[in-house]
Amino acid sequence: MSTQEAPNQHVGPDYKPTSERPEATVSKSLSLDNVHILPQTSQLIACLTMIRDKSTNRADFIFYSNRINRLLVEEALNHLPVLPHNITTAVGRPYAGVKFEGRICGVSIMRAGEAMEQALRECCRSVRIGKILIQRDEETSNPTLFYDKLPADIKDRWVILLDPMLATGGSALMAIDVLLSKGVPEEHILFINLIASPEGAAKFAKKFPKIRIVTAFVDEGLNEKNYIVPGLGDFGDRFYTL
Amino acid sequence: MSTGQRQLSPSSRAHLPNGHFPVLQRAHYEPPWSNTSIIGVAGSSGSGKTSLSLAIINQLSLPWVVLMSMDSFYIPPQGEQLQAAFRNEYDFDSPKAIDFDLLVEKLAEIKAGKKTDIPVYSFEKHARLAHTTSIYSPHVLILEGIFALHDPRVRDMLDLKIFCEAESDLCLSRRLIRDIRERGRDIEGVIKQWFAFVKPNFTKYVEPQRNVADLIVPRGIENKVAISMVSDRIHKTLKEKSKEHQQKLRHLGQVSEDMALSDHINILEHTNQVRGINTILMDPDLDREEFIFYFDRLAVMLIDKATEVGTRFKPCAVHTPVPDEIYQGLQVDGEVSAVVILRGGSCLETGLKRVIPDCRTGRILIQTNVRIGEPELHFHSLVEDLAEYRCVMLLDPQMSSGGAALMAVRVLLDHGVKEDRIVFVTYMAGKMALNRLMSVYPEIKVVVCRIVEDLEPRWVEERYLGC
Repeated sequence: MSTQEAPNQHVGPDYKPTSERPEATVSKSLSLDNVHILPQTSQLIACLTMIRDKSTNRADFIFYSNRINRLLVEEALNHLPVLPHNITTAVGRPYAGVKFEGRICGVSIMRAGEAMEQALRECCRSVRIGKILIQRDEETSNPTLFYDKLPADIKDRWVILLDPMLATGGSALMAIDVLLSKGVPEEHILFINLIASPEGAAKFAKKFPKIRIVTAFVDEGLNEKNYIVPGLGDFGDRFYTL
Repeated sequence: MSTGQRQLSPSSRAHLPNGHFPVLQRAHYEPPWSNTSIIGVAGSSGSGKTSLSLAIINQLSLPWVVLMSMDSFYIPPQGEQLQAAFRNEYDFDSPKAIDFDLLVEKLAEIKAGKKTDIPVYSFEKHARLAHTTSIYSPHVLILEGIFALHDPRVRDMLDLKIFCEAESDLCLSRRLIRDIRERGRDIEGVIKQWFAFVKPNFTKYVEPQRNVADLIVPRGIENKVAISMVSDRIHKTLKEKSKEHQQKLRHLGQVSEDMALSDHINILEHTNQVRGINTILMDPDLDREEFIFYFDRLAVMLIDKATEVGTRFKPCAVHTPVPDEIYQGLQVDGEVSAVVILRGGSCLETGLKRVIPDCRTGRILIQTNVRIGEPELHFHSLVEDLAEYRCVMLLDPQMSSGGAALMAVRVLLDHGVKEDRIVFVTYMAGKMALNRLMSVYPEIKVVVCRIVEDLEPRWVEERYLGC
């Protein structure tokens, strides 16, 4: 897949006049059923603009990426099953509600994925979080599994897999293999990331059509070094050390 | 009462731009502090006007009664006059020393229910100080000064005209004490002023005000009967005002009963998570820790939505760390401010701080009088230059009758905020309340999670705050 322009469009709620809906580059749309892209609101675009800007300082980078991560977690949680649950409220009125069904856990792909844990905790306080460390083999440049520590009963849980950037998808695909080998059903895995490449998303959709990807933005593509463009650079470095 | 259509006047229909929704004619809301009752208290210098006014206020022991001294309206003497003032040779006891034009202007503003800045006059410097004090939303204003009943334009705005009477030796001794203790004068200066200015002016200008007064009060604060007569009368006026206010609120409710919800009302999308959280929140057996956690989560979604609705954005191209890569993004254009309607609104502040950590936040305390169900404005402390912000969010977790919301929006408008920059953020609201609010202020926006039955009692803040 080659690099092509992402679409530009007026961003903002429909009821606002066009003059108040400035033009910006929005996510590419993909015709893949398992890829869910967050609504391209002006706020989301503004937060993404902050974290893409190389002159943004670390504190702002952390704050705005966390804001988007929370939106991603909220959206991912909406894919979990619910059961009808009727209650009577404190003021004595009936409410046709729902109850969350099924237990969850988070799994972060170290180290950048760990940056998304805070947002997950803000939505699910005592959630269990497993970790997977995958590094690129320096000789073969293939991803290699170095370490994993996951909840013992992970096969009975819904897994929210955390990795902010989906580029070639190499390490994420390997992480999925780990999860599947522990008995997690494919359809119980939700993979969330901030920015995805069309190549990575397509590769995923082909290999694991039942895994849902929730992403904030599908970028133009990958450059010759397999960096997402325009991207935001190395997420882990910007979040932890730069 | 049929449909909202009946509110369309032929003239407003004629001006409809093509392809737009018909604009409903605005309903009108008068806050209880509009048409402020003003009481004038005049009398000779040292006759005990201030003590009498304070005694009346004390006896009332009510908020919304404000004392304004005419001393604030002295015209600062200039040039030779200023020198004279420092020599105690300037006539402060003549009506010419008072800026009646400014006084009339300010009284009219107060009467219209607007926020009014009152000058501060310094007797040490004989000048107006740089800062002003602001008066906002009194239901009753007591105007106190030797010439409170002098100007016919002022008299026309007074609802009660009081003349304070005292023996002249009593007046002189009081004046001596006050000017020496509080205004840093010496005894010769004060006596010189008395005979040069105070005494002749009294006969010429002060005393004639007796003839236009409704009530002449001898013996000042010792006159307990007069004080309770005045306070009774004020009580009666306040009661009438409150009745009128409630009647208007009820009327607004009837008018808006059958209206469809305005498209300025943004209801949070009811995803599985939102429904699930609502279910948890409404369970009466839920412990408070859980309630706070889930409410905060929902509050973030509400504020997120409100930011989307109220903020303006502008294009912004940025360089990403990947070499030669530019992203055409957006940037927030103009700052967002928030005003918390206490006490309930504070439940939404955690959510606010998670989205906009440094949001400047004003606070207003509106309490519903449990006895009569009327909302009352007790306190406000707002961000300076509130009118400059691109978006002002009003936070209140519940809108029951809409009375407090109407009042809060009015407070913002009175402080110069443009109607279309206000976003009211609430967790739950009754349809009638929303329609009331939108029929009066059709340009504001509302972000709400749940539309509930009308007049649901306020319970969210009780759960969240635990009392």
